[in-house]
Amino acid sequence: MEIEFQLASEPIAERIPPPPSLGKQGAWLEFRGVVRGEENGQAISTLEYEAYPEMAEREIRRLLQEISTRHPCLAAKVIHRIGAIPVGETAIYVGVASPHRGEAIALLAEFMDRLKQDVPIWKRRGIVAAVCDHRGSGQTSKIGAHRAPLQLDEAISEIKSHCQPLPAVRVPLAEAFGRVLRETVCAPDDMPPFDRSTRDGYAILQGDASEIYQVVDTLHAADWKPRQLKTGEAVRVATGSALPCENLRVVMQENIERTGDQICVVKREAARNVSARGEDLRAGEPLLQAGAKLDAGALALLATAGNARPLVSPRLRICHFTTGDEIIPPDQKPKPGQIRDSNSFLIRGLLQRFPCELTQKHLPENFEAAKRDISAFRFPLSAFDLILVSGGASVGEKDFTRPLLEWLGFEIVFSQISVRPGRPLIFGMRPAREDARPTIAFGLPGNPLSHFVCFHLFVATALAKLIGAEPNQFRRGRLAAKLDDASNPRETLWPARWDPAGLHPLKWASSGDVTCLAQTNALIRVPANRGSIESGAEVDFLPT
Amino acid sequence: MEYVCLNHDIWFVIHLNMRVLFFAQLKDVTGCGSVELAPASSLSTEQLWTELLKQFPKLDAHRANVRLAKNWEYAAPDSRFTDADEVALIPPVSGG
Repeated sequence: MEIEFQLASEPIAERIPPPPSLGKQGAWLEFRGVVRGEENGQAISTLEYEAYPEMAEREIRRLLQEISTRHPCLAAKVIHRIGAIPVGETAIYVGVASPHRGEAIALLAEFMDRLKQDVPIWKRRGIVAAVCDHRGSGQTSKIGAHRAPLQLDEAISEIKSHCQPLPAVRVPLAEAFGRVLRETVCAPDDMPPFDRSTRDGYAILQGDASEIYQVVDTLHAADWKPRQLKTGEAVRVATGSALPCENLRVVMQENIERTGDQICVVKREAARNVSARGEDLRAGEPLLQAGAKLDAGALALLATAGNARPLVSPRLRICHFTTGDEIIPPDQKPKPGQIRDSNSFLIRGLLQRFPCELTQKHLPENFEAAKRDISAFRFPLSAFDLILVSGGASVGEKDFTRPLLEWLGFEIVFSQISVRPGRPLIFGMRPAREDARPTIAFGLPGNPLSHFVCFHLFVATALAKLIGAEPNQFRRGRLAAKLDDASNPRETLWPARWDPAGLHPLKWASSGDVTCLAQTNALIRVPANRGSIESGAEVDFLPT
Repeated sequence: MEYVCLNHDIWFVIHLNMRVLFFAQLKDVTGCGSVELAPASSLSTEQLWTELLKQFPKLDAHRANVRLAKNWEYAAPDSRFTDADEVALIPPVSGG
């Protein structure tokens, strides 16, 4: 039996071709389940489905195999749509081919019943919301082979021009932390949505100066009991209660005396003690702009506004290859000539601020062996948005980052920059193919300090562009101590500690210096041929 | 995180933790799509639930209606779960 299964995030085609008849087929029965305009008694415009894809496919195949032992089946085609499906559109399509119509009808009926019991697909929730999608333009620019080392600004603008925002995705709020919002979210309702008491007390009409008030109702925080109050009437309210009508004030309970169902105000205050409807925000006002980074406060705001599935940047998929035969894991004792791997942890830590899935792998420093390892790698490289290769970026005999990237189909945009440390930086690009998104690659020079500098200057810029965020910018700051350096023909990024007193340049001996990294939270930009800079001078720096 | 030495040349930095996936309303209950457990040895169904309830006590209310899946198939009651398994909590399904 031929079984075809698909989970589709796009609308299911109006016409699905039947399987080729091999002469045995007497019936081709099709069924479409469409989204009703009502879910659990509520009117909806869209219904959202979720699936456990790997298991859904297995279950569907298992069910069809099992049922076809009782009701013979020649071929079956099942398409289930997932994501947000507008009312009236197809959620599931099933086509079954059998020798006779009775078998096809029985098969289909039993399959649909069993699907609704066993296949891990869920209706998530009904939605009544407009969708606005800012997708990346995906345009590609021409790749040129640069020979002369690029200046810092040239390299950054090359990277920016080659990296386009990845298509946005809708995710549950609980998975949205750290992502970049890709649509402007507006307040769906006035906030607060009703006049709300800010005190425990009694609500009376504004300007009602009665001697005695009749308490006509009691409201708790979650109650919603609209009524028009009359002069001389009061309603008992709690802090946070939705007031029963507009134009009320709340007299604090400390300021009244109650006798049975009557109260008398003993002290009148000017404060209204009401948080008015729409006081925080009016319906339709923007809450968060596209491009906002979703931090804890932003998530709380989205939750308050009922935006349970914001449109955000996707999680980046990143592959990090380390190279170098001298590199050993940190739990081993180095033999002479060996060093412990620090770059894996540096990269892992630096990537923490970008929501991503990181795969790390060490490659042997032999081109043929490395190619074999990559070929046997369990992920196709097209599955990654970014590939980082540590080490092997200078032009020593064993260095092979550039040929490796070329072998992988990357075009090298530039391979040298005029920046200290980090000169041998490689930036490559693999254009989009029909089956894969574009991938970018960096070959990072092996030394940890170079890694750190290149990450903050270049890799972070690329990642920011991919997720649709504003890349980190240089700022102006003041040196709190002298920066002592000999003049250098290249621009230098000098590690520093930045605190309220200013920038404290740190000591570093070479690009392999890892001790200063633990202190560094800023990189000072020292212009080419500048030499030492006096304490108190204003400089450009990049917070890290 | 652990290092796994495959041979002299290659080692992986990988997670050797059991991944437990949550779907549909269970995502709302736990506040996440998955969690990683680091069991010292393989877990029985009962032990797995004990581990999960430690982290997400609210799951208890759903336990009666949740089926466990192991490596993309419904798990038998006597299944054991190890750090090599992908485990999923399947709440009542509602596809179609």
